Amino acid sequence: MNAAVDATCFHCGDALPAHPPTVAIDGAPRPMCCPGCGAAAQWIRDAGLGDYYRLRSDADGARVAADAGDFLSWDRADIQSGHVVSTPQGNEITVVVEGMHCAACAWLIDRALLREPGVLDVGANAVTGRVRLGWDPARTPLSPLLVRLAALGYRPHLAQGEAAERERRRERNRMIARLGVAALGATQAMMFAEALYLDTAREMSVPTRDFFRWITFLVSTPVVFFSGWPFIAGMVNELRHRRPAMDTLVASSVLLAYFASLVETLRGGLHVWFDAAVMFVLFLLAARFLEQMARRQASARLDTLARAQPALAWRITAAGREQVPVVALAVADVVEVGAGAVVPADGELLDAPASFDESLLTGESEPVSRQPGDALYAGSLCRESVARLRVQRTGSDTRLSQLTRAVEKAQAQRPRVARLADAVATRFVTALFVAAVLVFIAWWQVQPERAFEVALAVLVVSCPCALSLAVPAALATAHGTLARMGVLALGADALESLAKADTVLLDKTGTLTLGRPQLVDAHAIDGGDVTPWLDVATALEQGAGHPIAAAFARTGLRSAERVRAFPGEGVAGEVDGRAWRLGRAGFAMQGPDDGALWLGDGTRGVARFTVADTVRPDAAQAVAALRALGLAPRILSGDGADAVAAVAAAVGVAQFQARQTPEDKLAAVRSMQAQGHRVLMLGDGINDAPVLAGADVSMAMADGAPLAHRSADLVLTGASLMRVPQAVALARRSQRIIRQNLGWALAYNLVALPFAAMGWVTPGLAALGMAASSLVVTGNALRLGRIEGHTA
Amino acid sequence: MNILLALIPVSLALLLLAILAFLWAVKRGQFDDLDTPPLDILGDDERPAPAPEKRDPD
Repeated sequence: MNAAVDATCFHCGDALPAHPPTVAIDGAPRPMCCPGCGAAAQWIRDAGLGDYYRLRSDADGARVAADAGDFLSWDRADIQSGHVVSTPQGNEITVVVEGMHCAACAWLIDRALLREPGVLDVGANAVTGRVRLGWDPARTPLSPLLVRLAALGYRPHLAQGEAAERERRRERNRMIARLGVAALGATQAMMFAEALYLDTAREMSVPTRDFFRWITFLVSTPVVFFSGWPFIAGMVNELRHRRPAMDTLVASSVLLAYFASLVETLRGGLHVWFDAAVMFVLFLLAARFLEQMARRQASARLDTLARAQPALAWRITAAGREQVPVVALAVADVVEVGAGAVVPADGELLDAPASFDESLLTGESEPVSRQPGDALYAGSLCRESVARLRVQRTGSDTRLSQLTRAVEKAQAQRPRVARLADAVATRFVTALFVAAVLVFIAWWQVQPERAFEVALAVLVVSCPCALSLAVPAALATAHGTLARMGVLALGADALESLAKADTVLLDKTGTLTLGRPQLVDAHAIDGGDVTPWLDVATALEQGAGHPIAAAFARTGLRSAERVRAFPGEGVAGEVDGRAWRLGRAGFAMQGPDDGALWLGDGTRGVARFTVADTVRPDAAQAVAALRALGLAPRILSGDGADAVAAVAAAVGVAQFQARQTPEDKLAAVRSMQAQGHRVLMLGDGINDAPVLAGADVSMAMADGAPLAHRSADLVLTGASLMRVPQAVALARRSQRIIRQNLGWALAYNLVALPFAAMGWVTPGLAALGMAASSLVVTGNALRLGRIEGHTA
Repeated sequence: MNILLALIPVSLALLLLAILAFLWAVKRGQFDDLDTPPLDILGDDERPAPAPEKRDPD
């Protein structure tokens, strides 16, 4: 073993096991976290695609499962129908892949698939996470291509919600079109306005001046009404609900500058502000575009990943076994579930006892054993032996679907944060118009001929440009920074709620821990080298396809024969002609059970392995950082009390609750909210999904369940938990900057207003003040671009 | 200043042309993915180009 140069896997950036395998890339041995990543890296190197490692922007590729999986079912006609389109050259399918984070991934997928024989066309889009794949069915079936994808760590799924995706793309294109028109129109309008500005000595003849003004009007009109339409529509919507907010502010200032200029053009007044109106539309549209795209990109990738594998089940009929799509199952059907397969529907266990991994539903990491007649739930994993069950509930009636509905309900009941900026905007707009009317009335009494002009100056000078830029500029920068940190923000309110959180609830399995077994200790009983025993154990585990096989992260040098799994006991098999047993002490060497894994020949033990789900390396540090930020940490887990207590002690959390069902967790969140706490929930599994949706703000882990992603406000794209406190710190900084911006913009307006009301403000001064205050606000917002406490 | 009477319509026509060209490009999906295409030119293709069919006729 070489001394690990990096602490993480070279391919996927995950934590390394005790004895990492290595692959030589660019002349140096690189550590790999698992055989899957190793194989992928080796393939990439041998295919001459090593550029991938130089092109990618962050160090995290997708973790590669050791076994790429079986995609043979994708070749079936009944699965392909509805997804595959026939083209003159061949067939075409669009799949959604996991783990495509950046443009380099898309590059790698393009190159890797084009090498496969029979592939006609590949289009990988890193923005949407979709791969369009054209292939010639006469030369290759679909499954080997998908296996290649999966072997690189990009597990394909059937693309769902194509209509929603098309709509999203149309909307994005409409936004780009608006932005382009705004940019082209605004530059032209500013050019024409420039001619007017340069006429400082007022030598331009009135007809020429008016000609320029009308041309500017002509060019600005599409910018205001086509490009600015989202703001105007938003204002109409807000006014209809009698809740004027940000859009009202933006649209009213744009329309104000536009119509005031039109009025001045018509009456031949001193000044027009068309250029201000269009520039303003352009800036705000760009800020909104950047912010929305960062969020949309995140959600486009996540919500299509609904684990849409073509699901098949083995139905037992009088005629024998037949493979049918899961949707075709009916109540009272008898279904066979293979070892390691997922239970397709809720039902009742038949025949013999068997053990099931229900961690997807309960979060409990230990498998539970079920007796004949016990209830089984769809989504749980059958361990060790083949089981048969009679279907009792299918599809939307299953426990899994009930949890999904709980998510939707919890989301609907989530408390909304009162938005600071909206509250300010509402009062400001009202106050502004009241002030203008009052000024107009006052001047009407004194000097009626100047009344209109002064009222207009009041409106223009206090035109809330800076105020309406204050929030979007800060949000756009903060979202960009979050994405660079590896945190995807999905909800619009995510940042604001994150800043206000004062309690953090942590899930255990998969969140604080890695969520998969790791070999933490291995030693030979005779005190000698443990490596040969490790090889034997690896061969046995991999032969059995045991879930803890992943813990033995070594490329198997030997292979085992006649491997048999004994449920709840261990594995037996032959390696190099010798019979071995690996499992509980009683099974491997007839000793007393001590919770460890023993390798023996049935009577004598030769090696002892400790396999455990280990705590993430930076969990304790992250918890400490969260506490330093004033968040009270607390663990809620579905797992047993002992396991939870051990992890709580390891990461330094005093408060924890074990054996929590999803409903219990949600109730705990509700009671904390009732006490006035703002709760941040951090979780990863389907069992966490309702809580993620019900908490004030929630974060899901990158490798968590898609349902958890969909119900979370933020998703961590990497494995590091340190990004949580970093994101909280950034959220708080962005709130602070928004407050500063609002304060500055309000102060500017409050100072300018009296001068304008007295009739002292010249048009040039008004334009200067407007531009300067907007610049200050934008510059302040750009400070959010820095990542604090980031060591990369 | 009469030249303005010719130049301004010309600039407006050019503006219109630019906007139409831009809208056409948006509609054709030129802006769908702005990150991947720049990487395509960075590496050499060792494998001979795939069959000389057009990539994505529409």
